[in-house]
Amino acid sequence: MTEKKNVSMIQRRLIPTYIFLVIVSIISVFPLYWMISAATNTSTDVSRGKIVPGGYFMQNFKNLVSQQPLWKAMGNSFFYAILTTVVCLLVCSIAGYGFEIYHDKWKDKLFSTLLLAMMVPQVATMIPLFQMVSKAKLLNTSVGFILPMVSTPFMIMMFRQNARAFPIDIIEAARIDGLNEVQIFFQMFFPTMRSTYAAAAVITFMNAWNAYLWPKVIMTDNKSLTMPMLIANLITGYVTDYGMLMCGVLFCSIPTMVVFFVLQKQFAEGITGAVK
Amino acid sequence: MKKKVISMLLAGAMVLSLAACGGGSSDSGSSGGGAAAADSGSSGGGAAAAADSGSSGGSGTKLTIWTWDQSFNIAAMNTAIEMYKADHPDFDAEVIETPSEDCETKLTTCANSGDYSTMADIVLMQDNSYQKFLASYPDAFTDLSDIGIDWSQFPELKQSYSMVGDQHFGVPFDNGAVIGCYRTDILEEAGYTIDDLTDITWTRFMEIGQDVFAKTGKYLLSSEASGGDTLLMMIFSCGAGVVDADGNPYIVDNEAVKACVDIYVQMIKNNVVLLVNSWDDYIKSITTGQTAGIVNGNWITGTLMSTEDQAGKWEITTMPRVDGVATATNYANNGGSSWYITSNCKDVALAKDFLLNTFGNNTDFYDAILPTTGAIACYLPAAETEAYNAPSEYFNGQPIFATIVEYSGHIPAYNRTPYHYESRTALNTAVQQIVDGADPATALQEAQDTLAFNMGQ
Repeated sequence: MTEKKNVSMIQRRLIPTYIFLVIVSIISVFPLYWMISAATNTSTDVSRGKIVPGGYFMQNFKNLVSQQPLWKAMGNSFFYAILTTVVCLLVCSIAGYGFEIYHDKWKDKLFSTLLLAMMVPQVATMIPLFQMVSKAKLLNTSVGFILPMVSTPFMIMMFRQNARAFPIDIIEAARIDGLNEVQIFFQMFFPTMRSTYAAAAVITFMNAWNAYLWPKVIMTDNKSLTMPMLIANLITGYVTDYGMLMCGVLFCSIPTMVVFFVLQKQFAEGITGAVK
Repeated sequence: MKKKVISMLLAGAMVLSLAACGGGSSDSGSSGGGAAAADSGSSGGGAAAAADSGSSGGSGTKLTIWTWDQSFNIAAMNTAIEMYKADHPDFDAEVIETPSEDCETKLTTCANSGDYSTMADIVLMQDNSYQKFLASYPDAFTDLSDIGIDWSQFPELKQSYSMVGDQHFGVPFDNGAVIGCYRTDILEEAGYTIDDLTDITWTRFMEIGQDVFAKTGKYLLSSEASGGDTLLMMIFSCGAGVVDADGNPYIVDNEAVKACVDIYVQMIKNNVVLLVNSWDDYIKSITTGQTAGIVNGNWITGTLMSTEDQAGKWEITTMPRVDGVATATNYANNGGSSWYITSNCKDVALAKDFLLNTFGNNTDFYDAILPTTGAIACYLPAAETEAYNAPSEYFNGQPIFATIVEYSGHIPAYNRTPYHYESRTALNTAVQQIVDGADPATALQEAQDTLAFNMGQ
């Protein structure tokens, strides 16, 4: 009897917390809801502030497809985002692993320099970067597109932090068993750190998917149009079709949402640094 | 075993992607070389070929063009390409959709790194921002003075946006003449007609506005608080600018600016002008019928016409003029853009000939793009064609296109500044402060100082 009372008391005490959480959830989910409902309304209805979903989605979609190469942009975005993610994960995990496992007296100084680079905003490095890429004849190529994104100080730091939790005993045991260093990385470190890789994959994929300024500057033809560029193209006119715009935004956000939801569990583990 | 598979897959993906990238890079390397060769080949004969329009079509180069807005600039450019192709079968051009800000970012990056090779042959730039780029990067653009256009057929003000001294750099495109649009149904409710708002002063406008607000609860005008153009349009309609002839900030002792700020602030305080926070709110105030009028560049008609349930309720007329200023008129310009040939152009002669025979002198072309894009020409002879004189159903049967071109011929010139947007922000900030109770002289002094600071003085 008393136990039941306790439970109900605890529940009652939690009511304000739940109310608070519900309100916060509504606030954070509302923009998402508004995006979907706006994609189903006419531009005029959207500008008039209608928030109830309408029946105009197919028309918005048709307008979008007839005006912009939606599927090509989706394909490009997937190509560049996946390529960047794969290469970035490989490069940064090797770097992070190396920084943590191998020892050298200059290591920490080098790492600090690397972290300093994190403080420099992207726009500031844009012109020198453009010059480098232009001299290397990489303008308008996939390599030029992904190169500045494959090795980021943040990712290296994340892998180094998580490698700290990787038991050194495993490496020593593997060495005794006759594995060479490359094998240890791929066969021991890589499978153990799966959740870190998942978290890094989500972050890199999102960054690569949303990349705008750099690709826009170095990619010069219509063939390399990506989703964020397509969205930008929709808002530049004298007249903005809000319904069509939101329809485009919806298509642009779906992949990152899917990636996040699929890897959500590992993402949370990876961010907090878990070794299994 | 499983791990081996994964690592194999990873390595495989790497190899594949690198191979793909390698292919791409060698490809672009060769095309870059090709472009350079074409460039050096054609530049020698450029001047000679410019005079002879027939021969330049056959060079086989493909022009690239940067512009934005599928339903406006891009549609117009595509029509131009089609029409030019009909006479020059070898001609080929590709439009690369590039938002205005991105054109500017790319231009800045290219200019600062000294590598123009990624620039398009032809770019569209907004009239209000072009001068800044021309002043900063003069070697990025080609002089078009010898293109062969009869400049007297374009309004002087429009030309001045793309000129330095006597040199022409741009081919004028769309018209930014300011119009007043009014909801006749709301005016009628308050006992007014469109004639009561034609060729009036802002003082009279305020009287009518107060009356309309008292009778219908609707504002006569709305304007963006920080990014709005209303105040600048009022100043420009007096033939005045916010800088003097040497380009120095000229606000504090400028009688025209003071008169405009004064009446504008009064209108805000008296419920005639509704200040909104953003462009989206501005559009909302129109589509929801919160305001009965608009004073803006004529391109606003595009947004209006998408509000189909207000068809037949709108009519256009001239904007009000500022009273107490001797040079005041009922005409001003807001927005618009022009075409430029970059210094990276592979075939300058061809690009010049293309622009001359479409945007430069062709009324058939302007007739063709009018119904599909609503893009109104600056080319004055276009106003005489049938298409331009056709009545517009949305605007109660008014022939708005011919009217707008006619307005554009009356717009007074003023002292332009490359720091157009900076001056707009500074003045709008001053207005906000005055509305909130600040002393006008102090607020305007601050605006002038801010502008001077932005100019690096």
